[in-house]
Amino acid sequence: MLSFVLRRLAVMAPTLVLVSMLVFSLQKLLPGDPVLAMAGEDRDPAVIAQLRERYGFNDPVPVQYLHWARQVAHGDLGMSLRTHQTVAALLAEKLPPTIELAILSLLVALVVGIPAGIASAVRKGTMTDHVANVVALSGLSIPHFWLGILLILLFSVTLRWLPAVGYVPFAGDPAGNLIAMIMPAVVVGGGLAAVLMRHTRSAMLGVLNSDYVRTARAKGLLFRAVILRHAFRNALFPIVTMSTLLFGELLGGAVLTEQVFTIPGFGKLMVDAVFNRDYAVVQGVVLCVAAAFLLLNLAADVVYMLINPRLRRPR
Amino acid sequence: MTAADVTLSQACGQAEDTVLAVEGLSIGFGSSPVDLVDDVSFRVGRGRTLAIVGESGCGKSITSLALMGLLPSPPARIAHRSARFLGRDPLTLGQRAFADLRGDRMAMIFQEPMTSLNPVFTVGQQIIEGVLRHKDVGWNEARARAVAMLARVRIAGAERRLGAYPHELSGGMRQRVMIAMALVNQPDLLIADEPTTALDVTIQAQILSLIEELQATTGTAVLLITHDLGVVAETAHDVIVMYAGRVVESGPVEALFSDPQHPYTIGLMGAMPSMGRREGRLLSIPGAVPPPSRFPAGCRFATRCPFADDRCHAQKPPMVEAGPGHAVRCWKAPLEEYLPS
Ligand SMILES: Nc1ncnc2c1ncn2[C@@H]1O[C@H](COP(=O)(O)OP(=O)(O)OP(=O)(O)O)[C@@H](O)[C@H]1O
Ligand SMILES: [Mg+2]
Repeated sequence: MLSFVLRRLAVMAPTLVLVSMLVFSLQKLLPGDPVLAMAGEDRDPAVIAQLRERYGFNDPVPVQYLHWARQVAHGDLGMSLRTHQTVAALLAEKLPPTIELAILSLLVALVVGIPAGIASAVRKGTMTDHVANVVALSGLSIPHFWLGILLILLFSVTLRWLPAVGYVPFAGDPAGNLIAMIMPAVVVGGGLAAVLMRHTRSAMLGVLNSDYVRTARAKGLLFRAVILRHAFRNALFPIVTMSTLLFGELLGGAVLTEQVFTIPGFGKLMVDAVFNRDYAVVQGVVLCVAAAFLLLNLAADVVYMLINPRLRRPR
Repeated sequence: MTAADVTLSQACGQAEDTVLAVEGLSIGFGSSPVDLVDDVSFRVGRGRTLAIVGESGCGKSITSLALMGLLPSPPARIAHRSARFLGRDPLTLGQRAFADLRGDRMAMIFQEPMTSLNPVFTVGQQIIEGVLRHKDVGWNEARARAVAMLARVRIAGAERRLGAYPHELSGGMRQRVMIAMALVNQPDLLIADEPTTALDVTIQAQILSLIEELQATTGTAVLLITHDLGVVAETAHDVIVMYAGRVVESGPVEALFSDPQHPYTIGLMGAMPSMGRREGRLLSIPGAVPPPSRFPAGCRFATRCPFADDRCHAQKPPMVEAGPGHAVRCWKAPLEEYLPS
C-alpha cells in the first residue's frame, strides 16, 4: 500500500509540471496587459517600462517560466500585482472557507443523496422512486444562487433563524461559523445530492439484479443485510468516483454561492484575479486546484484499494 | 386426486419420507395470459434425487426460484393447488418466515459459480454469515463449521481458504464453496440449478459426485435441474421431463430411459450421444419451441410432434399412467399403438 502511494506520488510530479507549463503559457496568450492594468489611469510610459523591467516581462517566455517555476519550487508563488500580498498568503486566507464549504456540502450530499438513491432503487417504480426522482430533477435544475436567495428570504428575512450573510472564521467562533455555513452547504450540497442520488440509484439497480444478491437472499439473509451489506458494498465504487469528482469541483470554488453568501473563498479570488489580470494569483490558484485534484484522485484510488479486494490482491 | 397423482406419490416413496411435494404449480409474468410454467407437480423424498430435465427456457429455473421464494412477485404470478415442505406450505408463508427457511432447511446452488459469490467478501465471511443467520451459535463455532464444511467439499487447506476472495478461486472451487455454503446448515432440500453447466467436463463429474456423496451422508433431498441426460442417468432416482412449462413425462429413471413414452422424451433420448440411435423411432425433433404467445391451446408439443392430430392441438392432454410410478401427458399414450411396424 505504502509503495503504491509513493509510486503514485512520483507520477504526480511530472503531471504538475505539465499543468504549470500550461497555466503559464495560457496566461501569456490571454489578451490584456497586466502592467497597463497596474499602472492606473495616467499610464506614464516611464512607470510602465519600469514595471515591465521589475516583473521580468521583457525576458523571453521560457526564461520567464523557468524563473517562475524555480520560485514556485521554493514555495514562493509570487506577489499579487493588485493587493501586494504574497500569493501564498492569499491562498492560505481564501482556501479554508472553500475547503470548509466543500466538506460540508459533500456531507450534505452524501447524507441525503445515498439513502435517497438506495431507497428509490429498492422501490423502483413505486411512489418513493417517482418522488425521489422529481425532487432530484428539481435539485439539478434550480440554479444555486436562486435557491440561495430563496433560503435567505425564508430563513433570514422572514423567520430570522439564520444569519443572511457574513462569513465567520472557524477558529474565532466555531459555532457561529457552522451556523453561517448551514445555508450555503445546503444550497451547494442539495444540488450534489441530486447528482449522487441518481448515481447511487443506477449503481444499486445494476447490483440488485446480480447473482450474488440472489445468493445472499438464498441464504435467508434479511432485507437490510442483503441491501446494505451485499448490494451497497458493490455499488460503492461508482459512488466513490462521483464523490471525488464532485469534491474536486467544489475545491475550485462555488463562485455564485460564495457571492450570494459573501464567503471569502477561492471562487471569488479566482474571478477577481482573472478580471484584474492578476497573473500570479491565477497561476497560484490553478496550480493549487490541480494539485488538490491529483491528491484527491490518489485518495480515491486508496479508497478503491480498501473496498475492492480485486485491486488489493490481484490474482 | 387423479390417477397421475397417485402414481407420482408411489414413484417417490412413502409420504412420510416426502421432503417437498408440489401440486399444480403455475407461473406467469405480468399481464401475459400464458402460464410459462403450467400445472407442474412433483415430489422429492429424503435422500432421493429428482431431476428436472428440459431444454433451455422451459421454466426449470423459475420453477425452482419460485419454490425458494426468490422469484419477485409481482411481476411473477405464482399459483398452486398445494405444496408441502416439512409439513408446511412454503408458498403461503410470509416474507420473514420464508427467509427463515431459506439457507436453513432449503438451500440452492446456481448455474453461474463465477458471479454467484459476492466479490467483496471472503469465502469465510460468506459461509459464516449463513450460519450466524440461522443457528444460535457464536462466531467461533460458526467459523469452525465453515472450516469443516469447506473440508467436506474437498477444498485443500480449508482453514487458509477461509480468507480467500472469490476472484482468487477457479470456477470449480467457487462451485465447491457454493455447495459448502448451501449445505453448512444441513438443509433438508438442496436445489441445484444446472450446477455444472458452466464448468469443465472433468470438474463437472467431480462436482456431481461430491453432491451425491454429501447427500448419501446427510440424507438431503436433491432437486437437480439439468438439460444433460447423461447427468440424469448417473445421479437421479426420479425424473420429470418438462416441455414449454409443462411436465410431459415423469417417473423412475430406469423406466424413463428403458421405455420413454412421450414423443418429446423419445426425441431427447435420441439426442443423447451415449444412448445411440433408436431405430424405428424418432431420430430428432424438428422445429423449435414456439414463443409463449404462440403455445397451442392443447398439447404444447403439438407443433413439433409427428403424431399430433386435431385433438392434440385443441385439448390439453391429462397425465396418464404408463407403468409403475411412470406417467405421461400425451393423447397418444401408449405410443406403440401409433408406431409403424
Ligand atoms: N422476470 C421474467 N419476466 C418474464 N419472463 C421471464 C422472466 N424470467 C424468466 N422468464 C421466461 O420464463 C421462461 C423460463 O425461464 P427459465 O429461466 O425458467 O428457463 P430454464 O428452463 O431455466 O432455461 P435454461 O436451461 O436456459 O436455464 C423463459 O421463456 C424466460 O424468458
Ligand atoms: Mg435456468
